[in-house]
Amino acid sequence: MANLADVTDTQLRSELETAHGQLRSNQPTQAVHTLSDAFLAYLERNPSVLQKTTPMRDGRQIPVVMRWPALGANLSMESIRDGRPRIEFTRERFAMSEALTYYEFTVETALGEQS
Amino acid sequence: MKFGLFYELQLPKPLDGETWDPDAERRIFHEMLEQVELADRLGFDYVFEVEHHFLEEYSHSSAPEMMMAALSQRTKNIRLGHGIVLTPPKYNHPARIAERISALDILSNGRAEFGTGESASDMELGGFGVDRQMKKAMWEEATREITNMMVSEPYPGFEGEFFSMPERNVIPKPLQKPHPPLWVAASRRETTMVAARLGMGSLGFGFETPEELGERAREYYRLVREECFPIGHAINPALAVLNTFMCAETDEEAVRRSANGPGFFSYSLGYYYNPMTGGKHQPGGHNLHRAYTELGQAEKTGDGALAASGLLTRDAIAKDEPQEEVQRALYRAARSGSAIGTVDTIRNNIKKYEEQHLDTLIFVAQCGDRKHEHIMESIERFGTQVLPEFKERHETEHRAWRKQQLDGVDFPINSSI
Repeated sequence: MANLADVTDTQLRSELETAHGQLRSNQPTQAVHTLSDAFLAYLERNPSVLQKTTPMRDGRQIPVVMRWPALGANLSMESIRDGRPRIEFTRERFAMSEALTYYEFTVETALGEQS
Repeated sequence: MKFGLFYELQLPKPLDGETWDPDAERRIFHEMLEQVELADRLGFDYVFEVEHHFLEEYSHSSAPEMMMAALSQRTKNIRLGHGIVLTPPKYNHPARIAERISALDILSNGRAEFGTGESASDMELGGFGVDRQMKKAMWEEATREITNMMVSEPYPGFEGEFFSMPERNVIPKPLQKPHPPLWVAASRRETTMVAARLGMGSLGFGFETPEELGERAREYYRLVREECFPIGHAINPALAVLNTFMCAETDEEAVRRSANGPGFFSYSLGYYYNPMTGGKHQPGGHNLHRAYTELGQAEKTGDGALAASGLLTRDAIAKDEPQEEVQRALYRAARSGSAIGTVDTIRNNIKKYEEQHLDTLIFVAQCGDRKHEHIMESIERFGTQVLPEFKERHETEHRAWRKQQLDGVDFPINSSI
C-alpha cells in the first residue's frame, strides 16, 4: 500500500510530505519537481535500487527505475546506464493526476525496497 | 455486490475470408440490444460499453452514445455506463461530451454513468493526433471542465492547455445532480489509487483476484476518506472489476461455450496495445482472428517475432502468471475466469469478491466468436439463480459496510452503488 507513513527513509518521507502538501494545495507542477528531486536523491542514497529489475511484456528484465512515469519529467535512459540518474523536464506544467502518478510510483518504489 | 455487463462489440473476421459478411455488424449491435434488455429484466445493475476507434475485430464500439441512446428506450432500470468515453479533446470536444452525457441522462431518466479515459493504443492515439506523453493531462483537464460545464449556468469559458472556449451555456444539464457518477478506466493499481484521490469510481480492467481486490478496497477507501481532491462536484466511491463470464448447465459445457472468447479478447487487446504489433497494424489488411487461431502453429515453428511481441501464446497461458502488471491482466483475461461454469461454480467463486467488499463485478460475456444464444442463456441462468441472493446481501450488508467506509467524508456523493 502506498502509505506515506510506512516509508522508513526519513529524508524521503519528509520530501514526500512536502509533495503531499503541494498536492493538497493544488500545486501539481511543484509537486512533480519535488518528487523528481526526492527520487533522484533517494537513488543516490540507495544505489541498490538501480540494480533491481522488473519484467517487461516479453519477459525481458529491465531496471525498476525505468518504470518511472514518462509524463514529461522523464528519467534519462542514458543516465541510468551511466549510473548517474537524471530527470529531464520536457514540459512546464503538470496535471494533478500526473503528479499523483509520480507520487504513487515514488512511494511504491520506496516501500518495495524496504520489503 | 452489484453486477454489470461489459461490451467491446468484438467481431472476429471469418477464418476463411478477408472481411466480415455484410450483415455481421448489424447482427452484433442488435444482439447486444437483446442481451442488455434481458439483463435489465432480470435485475442486472449496469451495462458498460467502451469507446474505441479503428481497433478492427477487437472492438467495433466507436459510437457507444448511439447504443446507450437506443438502450435508454428499451430498458427501465439498468444503469447505462460509458466504459469509457475518451475525453482528450482531440477525440471528442469536451462540450460535446457534456451535451451527450446530459442528453443520455435525460433520455434514461437519470441512469447515465460517466466513465472516462484516454486509451493507449497507437491506432487511436495516432488516428486522432493525441500525444501519448500528454494524454493523461488532456484527460484530466477535459474531464474536470466537462463536470464544470454540467453544473455552470452559464459555463464561464476556459483557457486551457489543451482546449479553450468562450463563455457559453452548455445545455442540456444532466438530470442527476450535480452530474452523473464519474469513473475512470484503471488497468493498473496505481490508477485505481489516483481514482480514489480524485473521487472517481475505478473501472478495474486488471482482472484482479479477490485477494488483490481486498487490499485495493482497503487502500482505495482510505484514500477517499483521507486524501481526496475531487475532480468533479460529487465523488463516486466505487470499485468495479471485470471478469469473463459464461454460465451453463455443466462446467464443461460452460467452458465449451466460452469458446475462444477469453483467449481472443486477451490476444486482440494485447495486439492493439502493444506498440510492436498494434503500432504496425495494417488497417483493413489483417485477419486477427486467423492469426490468433494459427498461433499454435507459430509457437511450434518458434516464430521469433511472436515471442518478441510479448503476445500471449496458448503455451504461455498454461504457464505461471507473468509479473508485469499489464501482461498479467492479459494472462488472466485469457484464462477461464471465476465466472465461467455452472451457477454453483460461479456462485462459490464470486462470493470471494463479495467477501472482499467489491462494489461491482462486471462480466465480459460478448467476446470472440461466442454465440448469442449461449450468452442469452448465460444471462438468464445467472440472473435467475445467482443474482437475487447477492442483490439482497448488497442491500443488507454491503451498504452498511460502505456507510462505515465513507463515515466522515464531507464531499457530496453521487454514486449508484
